[in-house]
Amino acid sequence: MLMTEPTIDLKDHPILITLQDTISGNGFLARITVSGRTLMRQEEDGKWWMYGVRPAAIAEAGGTIDEAFLRFRQAHTQVLLDIVQESPNFDEFRTEVERFFNENDVDEQAWEEALKAVRDAHIAPPEPFSKLPRQSPDSRPARIEVERLDGKITPFTASDNVTVTYSVADKKAA
Amino acid sequence: MSASRDFADIQRMLTECAPGHTIRMTDHFRRIKFGSLIYPSLPKSKKIEVGHIHKMVRHFKIQECAKKHGMA
Repeated sequence: MLMTEPTIDLKDHPILITLQDTISGNGFLARITVSGRTLMRQEEDGKWWMYGVRPAAIAEAGGTIDEAFLRFRQAHTQVLLDIVQESPNFDEFRTEVERFFNENDVDEQAWEEALKAVRDAHIAPPEPFSKLPRQSPDSRPARIEVERLDGKITPFTASDNVTVTYSVADKKAA
Repeated sequence: MSASRDFADIQRMLTECAPGHTIRMTDHFRRIKFGSLIYPSLPKSKKIEVGHIHKMVRHFKIQECAKKHGMA
């Protein structure tokens, strides 16, 4: 017999994101890889809003959760492009990008509370999140890596690439 | 939640709730600085959706003051 998990009516949905961008700067080429956190919430305007947690200072919306994520991803890239435009060298670019990623706000606590609600309830993510992969944040800490690629001595490999994606933060692996 | 607010209303709110803030235009956004905190992604449009405003307000931790302007 097929067993289905019960669902819960959450306001805030804890989401894990993976982003990667390659950006040209003043005399350098940088790759930025983010393992981040966001909250998704359907607001009174009917749209799904993706609010940044790590990085915090971004919000984007869409008619669907996919659209909200794609717009969030685009905004993240645009923030990086603004930062690189004003960075005279790689070190200053990396410092500012890391500051942007690590500057948190009250949504970090909301994210932790939403994750706890999901875990305490022992239930499946509701629609429209039920089809997303589920990952444990315990094995996927929030982090950013800013690498300088120009002049890189070690060879580039396919394993350097990551898939840009988002998933539901849960105790269960995908 | 009403859909959007004029940027002029946001400026009035920031003047009261985030004294000393600065606003600078970048290629893609308005970059708002308040103390040591930076919100680099406020849209450049005249009308701004409230989700962006609420997020900036939470980022600057000025929710109580912003409530008086209907922006938290």
